[in-house]
Amino acid sequence: MKHIFILAVFLSSSMAFTQNCEAYKYYGDTLKYKACNKAKEAAGHYQFSKEYQIALDESLEIDPTFDHAYFAKSIAYLKSGDFVTWKRLIDQAVQYNPKEHLGYRGWCRYQFFRDYKGAIRDIEKLDRLVDYDIGQSQNGTYHLNIAKGLCYKAIGEKDKAIEIIEKQIKLNEEENFVGAYDYVHLGVLYLETGKFEKAIETFKKQTHYNELAENQYYLALTHQKLGNKNESLACLKKAKELYIGKRRMFDTYSNPMDKIYLEDIENKLKTPFNPPDGRSPAVLSQ
Amino acid sequence: MRKSLLNISILISMLYSCQTEKKSGEKGDYLRWVGDIEQNDQIDPPEFKICNGDDNIFQYFNIGEGPVYHGEKSKIVHTFHSKYNPITGNNENGFIRIRFVVNCEGTAGRFRVLQSDDTYQETEFDQAIVSQLLNITKGFENWEVLKINETVVDYYMYLIFKIADGQLIEILP
Repeated sequence: MKHIFILAVFLSSSMAFTQNCEAYKYYGDTLKYKACNKAKEAAGHYQFSKEYQIALDESLEIDPTFDHAYFAKSIAYLKSGDFVTWKRLIDQAVQYNPKEHLGYRGWCRYQFFRDYKGAIRDIEKLDRLVDYDIGQSQNGTYHLNIAKGLCYKAIGEKDKAIEIIEKQIKLNEEENFVGAYDYVHLGVLYLETGKFEKAIETFKKQTHYNELAENQYYLALTHQKLGNKNESLACLKKAKELYIGKRRMFDTYSNPMDKIYLEDIENKLKTPFNPPDGRSPAVLSQ
Repeated sequence: MRKSLLNISILISMLYSCQTEKKSGEKGDYLRWVGDIEQNDQIDPPEFKICNGDDNIFQYFNIGEGPVYHGEKSKIVHTFHSKYNPITGNNENGFIRIRFVVNCEGTAGRFRVLQSDDTYQETEFDQAIVSQLLNITKGFENWEVLKINETVVDYYMYLIFKIADGQLIEILP
């Protein structure tokens, strides 16, 4: 049991300590250099462990403005759902280094707590602060602008969400770096706003790029809207096959927006020709 | 009559305060892991057992399968939406987390509650909201049994409830 435990925990440890402390020394910040080296003692310990947290506490005793230590400490609280302690710690990281941590805090607000307005505020603030690309979400799944678009959708501003996501996908396509779920999210937005032909076109791009149960499910709903009964049924059957084969939207810590469940597919399969509602089934369950 | 009502009220209040998350995290006050829940004989039923020892309790995501639920998440969502009665006139906003341990048999125990407003400041919601959520959570008899290398494990799981104007609007993760 102990071997399994150590292995599993090791595999799920983060790489929070890849910082080069020498940079602080180079710029003459000896206090941060010392704090950084102390923080490195946490490396090799699990983020949740006493040893990890104590090494970071000691780092902060050396330099209470060392943003990286607050960030690293906050991770375990985030992952355990302790929003109170997480927010207190990550706020300090943001206070001392907003350019480095605002995007991360915004993403976490969305990913873990569905704090849509808070996520939008953080991502937009970062965008105003920097003149470079604001980058990806921590898990690499989305460009932060896509995440921002999803947050606008969640607060009911679907046209704005479409505008943001369309623009970012275009940039992603130019760099051949489209996110794993970008097209399916945009397709669902088109479906929900009655742009059925655009939805089909976008779901087809997702099929070509990264086929998912969700993609076929929402494609089925779109075909239903257009009265394409045979196509709809075929897509639902394909969605079920993909779902069972685990080709579905996934996140290690939470359930992605627009994710579906087997029950959603089976309910639609029972009544494939009934008037569809076209509504995302997961709105209340993300 | 009055005295017995008072006693009941004190008892209920004691039970909920006990189930409120005890904060560790100040230097020198850490348990094995952040968020570890120790057995509290005053509130935790003695029949709930950890199979592999407290030092071997995982987090749900250590398995790499994402949040897993017995019968998928939709079952959890349906149950809360059918059993939870919104409190009329309540305008509270924020988050309520109920965290617990799922043992190797898929049984849950050691439930703890954490509450904050929508600015992440610790708060206390109307007890009628919290008690409903807690009781519904405790009512699930089966949670997913998780295995690592064919060995069944104990793990921490939580549910976060987003509350807006006293209404339950989202269940996470």
